[in-house]
Amino acid sequence: MYPNSDLEMLMARYQQGDFTAATALVHRLSPQLHRFFVVQFASREDADDLLQETWLRIHEARHTYRAGEPVLPWFYAIARHIRVDHYRRASRTVAREQRLREAHEAAAAPAAESGGTPDLEALLASLPESQREVIEMLKVAGMSLEEVARATSSSVGSVKQKAHRAYERLRERLSGMGLGKGRTGELR
Amino acid sequence: MRDKEIDEILKQAAQAPHNVDPALLDRIGKSIGSSLRPVRPLPPAWELAGGLFLICAGVALAGAARAGFFGIQALSVLERAAIFPTLAILIWLGATTAAGEMIPGSRRRAAPSTLLAAGCLVLLVVFAGLFRDYRTEHFVSLGAPCLAAGLLHAIPAALAIWLVLRRGLAVNPAAAGLMVGALAGLAGVSMLELHCANLEAPHVMVWHTAVVPVSAAAGALLGWAARSRAGSGARQRQVR
Repeated sequence: MYPNSDLEMLMARYQQGDFTAATALVHRLSPQLHRFFVVQFASREDADDLLQETWLRIHEARHTYRAGEPVLPWFYAIARHIRVDHYRRASRTVAREQRLREAHEAAAAPAAESGGTPDLEALLASLPESQREVIEMLKVAGMSLEEVARATSSSVGSVKQKAHRAYERLRERLSGMGLGKGRTGELR
Repeated sequence: MRDKEIDEILKQAAQAPHNVDPALLDRIGKSIGSSLRPVRPLPPAWELAGGLFLICAGVALAGAARAGFFGIQALSVLERAAIFPTLAILIWLGATTAAGEMIPGSRRRAAPSTLLAAGCLVLLVVFAGLFRDYRTEHFVSLGAPCLAAGLLHAIPAALAIWLVLRRGLAVNPAAAGLMVGALAGLAGVSMLELHCANLEAPHVMVWHTAVVPVSAAAGALLGWAARSRAGSGARQRQVR
């Protein structure tokens, strides 16, 4: 995670045509954007494609970022837009969707059975899409409620409500996995 | 299990490294670098909104000037004082929202569909409060031309709005289209209020107000179609 002011400065230089700033942004933000896609049930291969598509769109729309505005919501709003488009395309192909789900369930199972902390993707797998993206932005990208609201084109109240519901589901899931009170010391 | 414990588990899970193929990052970097040049950032949102406001006002005034200012002449001072400031406020709200829809990660006061519904409701309440003539003579034959005139004026307004906003990126083209359509529809309603001298409540409430949702629906449909087309186009242009 990087300070927002640092990213804002790189973004301003990217708008001025600075290649070093552009590649720095690509290297700094790609892992978290890639993870954003993987968490949303994309296979790694699909996440690679979505990441490329996202940077293509970011590049085309870089003039729409305005200095002084929070930078992460701007990136995530575009990434989310790409993911929603991808989801719509994928949902048209039912068999493909089924394959993705099966692949993800298979990936999630061993982590859950092992008794340790499941990986993030497996942990969030039980959440509905809208709650998953909110938790990912809040806890992985480290965005504030206001920034998540901007990225998801919703209100702060709605983000809070989704996060609250997500925590309720996670509590049930983690309790079922035996990761409750008194076991946090065992977590890796 | 407490929230803090869940926080801790999420924090630990998020700390696990997530690597991206360095070759992929290099490919993205090269692809960006090949077309990298300085760009001019969009103007501030208030400036865009101001431009949209002027477009709506200009279209309404130009339309009424061409067709005649019979409507405003027929209105009392109270009616003018209630209708035109209401329209101006709604246009300003629509303009700021439409400008925001074209900038990714903008703060959103309310969803465009909510604003559309609220705007139509406000217009209906204002018209219902001001006009007491509930005759419905020649309801359709007099109303349909008003709706058509309002929509005809919404078209140039929508085109001009699109010209102002075309440099933006609508992350939700259907919502952006809905807002642009609604805003253009408000320009059409403003023209009708300046021009149409028919002050029967059912006529104004139905045929004048209808310009806004019809124009918004057309805008949303165009936005949705643009999204479908852009989606398939972007897929083809993907860097490999």
